[in-house]
Amino acid sequence: MGEDELTIDNTPSELTLAQVDSDGALQEALAAVDSRAAFLGKAALGGAAFLAALSVPEPAEGAVSASDAAILNFALTLEYLQAAFYTETERNKAVKAELARVPRQLGAVERAHVTALQDVLGRRAVKRPAFNFQGVTEDQVKFLKTAVAFEDLGAAAYKGQATRVDSPALLAAAVAIHSVEARHAAWMRYLAGFTPAGRAFDEGKPEFAVRRIVASTRFIVARPRTTRRRRPRFTG
Amino acid sequence: MMDDLRIDLIDSAASTPGEPAPQPRDTRRQFLGQTLAVGGATIFAGGVFVAALPRLAVSAPSPAQDAEILNFALLLEYIESAFFTEASVKGNLSGELLEFADVVRGHERAHVAFLRGALGNKARKQPKLEFGDATREPGAFTAAAVALEDLAVSAYNGQAGNLTKGTLEAAAKIVSVEARHAGWIRAIAGKNPAPAATEEPLTAKQVTAAVAKTGWVKTS
Repeated sequence: MGEDELTIDNTPSELTLAQVDSDGALQEALAAVDSRAAFLGKAALGGAAFLAALSVPEPAEGAVSASDAAILNFALTLEYLQAAFYTETERNKAVKAELARVPRQLGAVERAHVTALQDVLGRRAVKRPAFNFQGVTEDQVKFLKTAVAFEDLGAAAYKGQATRVDSPALLAAAVAIHSVEARHAAWMRYLAGFTPAGRAFDEGKPEFAVRRIVASTRFIVARPRTTRRRRPRFTG
Repeated sequence: MMDDLRIDLIDSAASTPGEPAPQPRDTRRQFLGQTLAVGGATIFAGGVFVAALPRLAVSAPSPAQDAEILNFALLLEYIESAFFTEASVKGNLSGELLEFADVVRGHERAHVAFLRGALGNKARKQPKLEFGDATREPGAFTAAAVALEDLAVSAYNGQAGNLTKGTLEAAAKIVSVEARHAGWIRAIAGKNPAPAATEEPLTAKQVTAAVAKTGWVKTS
């Protein structure tokens, strides 16, 4: 099994998510849902506390170094991915009964992370990519396994950046998200039947490794054209 | 201005396994007294913790300050290690709770060993600890375990900005394991494993006050 695949530790290879079936893929416009729930998440779930932790009342672009902005944009990409994944699962009603609160809560939290990072980055924020979750947002078992992999990856990604952040305020914000991702990872593992805490020390992952894993999922797809009308292939 | 003590970090007492997860914000205050009454709510007045406090504000990281902070972390790890070891031996735990205690005690022992190794002859000694019902009765154990793991996460997070990069890297490998423990025991207890979008850090002073109120630490 390649290291650059999104996998769950200590589990058999069939849990590899890189080659999941692409049938039934959804292309959803998430913007409307995001703006509504981002507000909700911010008000109810601590996005405001995140911003307070930054100690930047009106985050000015100049207040964030180029290096920190790159790190934040990397984090934002992961948060876009997680937010879209949970939001789409919630909308699909793929998870039933007691577990229905999982995509609802995590969606709100990850959207709050998205909003907070966007606020700090301002115009420097990367755009939301387009996603194709290839069916994992439509099936409870696939959803849980993907959630485990995403949350483990999120925790490892934030950890990998902790020593690279310049700004103390941003470091405070990053660690405040890092441990929440780890809580989520344990929770998803508990629900999926994996050990929530497999070892005494958690390793981080560098950005290139995280990006390679994300790429291997093929969940991020080419952005749809802003105009639906396709240009003729040959324009002579 | 923060509260003297972060109430949401120690909101564990009223929860028993199987009880529905409470909403994050509404009923915390009433839990406070119950949790902290466990140890008799004695203020730990010996000055032992105060002497060991890392600086409360972010100050320039240095190896000397790292050692201070790691010794502060070591106290928490001593408490966790002893707590889970004692509970798994005589806590009348079974099923998920026993599995949790067995796994976690191994992790906390490893954290103690790591910190002692990093500190060398500067490492503080393990204090005398008495946990009372918290290591003898499953309900009290669960409540205390939630409080302890939540406290550890906030304690490490609160020091992140005070550490040199090398020590931060090591601490980051520990804090997410503490967060996993916190999420795990909360899931077992039927509590929300991750009640906030961002984790509130605690200062050393706040952590010390929370530890003191347990009454578990009997000597330095």
